Amino acid sequence: MTRNRPTLAGLMAGAALALVAAAPVFAQDGPIRIGVLEDQSGDFAAATMVKVHAIELAAKEINDAGGIDGRPVELVVYDTQSDNRRYQEFMRRVLQSDKVDVVFAGFSSASREAYRPIVNQFDGLAFYNNQYEGGVCDNNMIVTGAVPEQQFSTLIPWMMEEYGPNVYTLAADYNFGQISAEWVRQIVEENGGTMAGEEFIPLGVSQFGQTIQNIQATEADFVVTLLVGAAQASYYEQAASANVGLPMASSVNVGQGYEHKRFTPPSLANMFVTTNYIEEIDSPASNAFVEKFHAMFPDEPYINQEAANSYIAMNLYKQLVERAGTTDHDAIRAVLAEGDVCFDGPSGNVCLDPKSQHMSHTIYLAKVNDDHSISFPKVWEDIKPYWLGDAGCDLTKNDPSAQYTPSSPPPAQ
Amino acid sequence: MALFESVFAMLYQFGDTFAFLVISCAGLAVIFGMMGVINLAHGEFIMCGAYVAASTARAGLPLPLAILAGALVAGVVGMVVERLVIRHLYHRPLDSIIATWGISLIATQGVLIVLGSTMQGVGTPLGSIDVGDRSYSLYRLVLMACALGLLGGLYLLFYHSRFGVIARATIQKPQMAHALGVNTGRMYGLTFGLGAALAGLAGGLYAPTMTMVPTMGSTFIVESFVTVVVGGADIFVGAAPAATILALIKAGLTAWYGQLFGQIGLLVTVILVIRILPGGLSGWLKGTTR
Amino acid sequence: MISSETAPRSRTRSLLARLEGPQTMGRGPAFWVAAAVAVAAAAAYPLMADAWTVGNAAYFLIWTFMAMGLGIVWGYAGALSFGQTAFFGLAGYAYGVITLNLGAAYGLTVLALVLAVAIGGLFALVIGYFMFYGRIQGVFIGIVTLSVTLVLETFMAQTAGPQWRIGEARLNGFNGMSGMPPLTLPWFGGDIVLYPGPSLYYLLLGLVVVCYLCLRIMLNSPFGNVLVAIRENPHRVGMLGYDVRLYQTLAFAIGGAFAALSGALYTAWGQYITPSSMGLTSAALPIVWVAVGGRRDITATLIGTIVVLAGFQTLTIYGSQYALVVMGALLLVTVLVAPQGLVLGAMTLLGQIFKRGKS
Repeated sequence: MTRNRPTLAGLMAGAALALVAAAPVFAQDGPIRIGVLEDQSGDFAAATMVKVHAIELAAKEINDAGGIDGRPVELVVYDTQSDNRRYQEFMRRVLQSDKVDVVFAGFSSASREAYRPIVNQFDGLAFYNNQYEGGVCDNNMIVTGAVPEQQFSTLIPWMMEEYGPNVYTLAADYNFGQISAEWVRQIVEENGGTMAGEEFIPLGVSQFGQTIQNIQATEADFVVTLLVGAAQASYYEQAASANVGLPMASSVNVGQGYEHKRFTPPSLANMFVTTNYIEEIDSPASNAFVEKFHAMFPDEPYINQEAANSYIAMNLYKQLVERAGTTDHDAIRAVLAEGDVCFDGPSGNVCLDPKSQHMSHTIYLAKVNDDHSISFPKVWEDIKPYWLGDAGCDLTKNDPSAQYTPSSPPPAQ
Repeated sequence: MALFESVFAMLYQFGDTFAFLVISCAGLAVIFGMMGVINLAHGEFIMCGAYVAASTARAGLPLPLAILAGALVAGVVGMVVERLVIRHLYHRPLDSIIATWGISLIATQGVLIVLGSTMQGVGTPLGSIDVGDRSYSLYRLVLMACALGLLGGLYLLFYHSRFGVIARATIQKPQMAHALGVNTGRMYGLTFGLGAALAGLAGGLYAPTMTMVPTMGSTFIVESFVTVVVGGADIFVGAAPAATILALIKAGLTAWYGQLFGQIGLLVTVILVIRILPGGLSGWLKGTTR
Repeated sequence: MISSETAPRSRTRSLLARLEGPQTMGRGPAFWVAAAVAVAAAAAYPLMADAWTVGNAAYFLIWTFMAMGLGIVWGYAGALSFGQTAFFGLAGYAYGVITLNLGAAYGLTVLALVLAVAIGGLFALVIGYFMFYGRIQGVFIGIVTLSVTLVLETFMAQTAGPQWRIGEARLNGFNGMSGMPPLTLPWFGGDIVLYPGPSLYYLLLGLVVVCYLCLRIMLNSPFGNVLVAIRENPHRVGMLGYDVRLYQTLAFAIGGAFAALSGALYTAWGQYITPSSMGLTSAALPIVWVAVGGRRDITATLIGTIVVLAGFQTLTIYGSQYALVVMGALLLVTVLVAPQGLVLGAMTLLGQIFKRGKS
């Protein structure tokens, strides 16, 4: 039952102990309260349970080391049940009733868009620790997940060089899939390739017979799979059993839903994924992180990129508050604007970009082998989230609180 | 040869969709079509069958036996559920929605808590065959054969076996059947259990081709309700033509206009069929032959 | 019956008399005193609760309209709609599109609210006409309405691209449309922006009271009586010369308009609307609220919805992972132990005790 402990109660107890320990020194400040809204049940639970654990791990480490600026960290955790409405309810609750200093929230982009108006209304500060379609230019948000320009500007040219210029894109038919497909199309054209085909799949579709035939009817050299959710993941099994046999490239698989662990080899063989972290990365920092994680959560099925991002986000927040000397959001943003907020964590060195409040990453190219083990043919260091800043989003100057896409960029200044 | 290839490709797509509709609706056809219980936990019986099949197969049981084990366990669970809950709701079909919705919530979240958020699947067996320059999964052809076998088997069971006759009599005229000495309670339990077992069979059959998560049943539920409803009250007359028509429409639209239109087309067809033929296809077929 | 030369005053009186009648529970001074106390308590609530609790209570009130609408369609007219969320979502998007194009000045958000409800109601009228004049009955109504809401969801989920826009408003696909203004009332010396809080709470409370009383009057009118008669025996009602289809269609349109009111208010409340609010899970929720509260009485539906919403939210806060399991178990227990619904069962029980005490 360790994996299903009543997290809230346990944490409260832990935090209370920490509070007692820290009380004599900074009694007047009290703990720093951190809201955590993640999906611990429902559709997304497989990928998000680990995020909560990563935040708990970081909180424990921070408290063991004397807290943030001497103040202990206290987590306020709610289960959002993969339901956008719960995000709306609980984001209000943590900001209005629990009066937290910062919130770590959200898996799907829909959930982020559901709570973002509320964060804006109360001028809160939220970390979104997920890989997503990019483009959120909002002073109240800090994004630590990777965005398309980081994953595709590395992945697609490499794949085209290795396997050929004809690309077939298979994407979930919603914002993430459509915008990612747009990025792929653009990068393929820039590199002199051609789109052999492009197909969008409604969320929740689990039968891919026709799609597999469509792919086989083209001359594609590799398939970019941007499929999302448990139902769509059935594609890999079905494609393997129909012997499609093309290499696959993805920004979303393996690093998030650890499909290579869940599916029977070799259905995912020859898939290439750009991710900013997965537990197989063999560096001293990564191995130490995995070891600490398993010491605290022995049954953790997989430590994915979102877990690393959540852990990094906690440490970045610690640094921001300590440098600002307060949890006040304007002071934190002033520190962020200095442009040197970095953290050397499990995934390597990362820095926050003051213009977009997104994070630079070391991007690892993970290859799934025939037995579903992982190898890393290539690593790109310090890949910046350049697009928003280049397109005209500058949060140090103004705050549009909007989400942009390549086809609807920020209005010209 | 090219003609043969494209004809085969079309037939394969059609058969694939047809098999999916028939296999996923069979259990619901018995529970909803025959007994009138709106079973929102249908997907969870499917999930149960899939989980049992996958775990027994991984434990070393041959896949066909594992699939049958999945059906068996789902059937037993179904009979328990019938005894504890559904039995009290036969005269209140709309309340069965709430009850089965409750069961569905308990089942998905309970499985998540006990077994974790995902489970490792079993690979698809049998490999692929090449027809022209395209390759096809052999297991999918097996599924199509299973769908046809299922339709035939159910027909024989309900129309040419003692159990089937008594079951139909019990459900159509319970008092009369009771007066004739039928243990109606047991018949209801068995019929519901059969429906649950068929759902479990669907889960077992599709387990090797799908992602194993507690919410996996939800991908079946819309399609299965749609097929049963289009088929109409008499499932044995209606289900096969309903699955045929829906599969034609869905496979056709998917092939020519993409998956989105396949999905929407399926739902619009249902709305139109109900509007034009309120008795479903079976009502219409019976009406014209009468 | 009212004679032709009835003065307006006595007409008002006869309307008010319909606040009580055979189709609604609760009558006599005791009931109305209790109701007044309940409303007074609800009005005093913001004085003692913190800002979040008040905003959250306002959020619960938003859903009661959809529940009352379903109560009319299902509980009174006997047609189980599984797709009230279609009208909810349509109106939500309508509110978003209209306000994003027109802005929030001059009370235009209120106009947008009214238009959104009208659009939702009209759509329900069309669907209702399509179904009831096609002689669709029983569980098939549930399937058709569910299909309608799923079609809308599937379609809206893929409208992420920039080509999907209506004027200034981007539909924005699965991620949902956001950025629309909250309800804004024009006022001397500056608009009042109704963010979730006491002001929105009072507006919604007033709206709930008005809608509730109007529905009571409608249900006890000849229209309501015919609806109940149709639920009990449509053939007999038809024999008596009533156009059953017309009554059902109108009831369905009214129910749809109430769902639309919820949808537009929800969008204004959270400044956000998403296709998944028309999905399968969302579609089942109103049925759960209404069934658990008690569908055959509008008062039970109203109270039950608030109780279930608050109960489930509390469970989610304190029950961690077990919340959904407990919810499921509660639904099972309700159906098996209190088939009429928890609130209706309790009300019936109270009524019996009260009567026994009198005699």
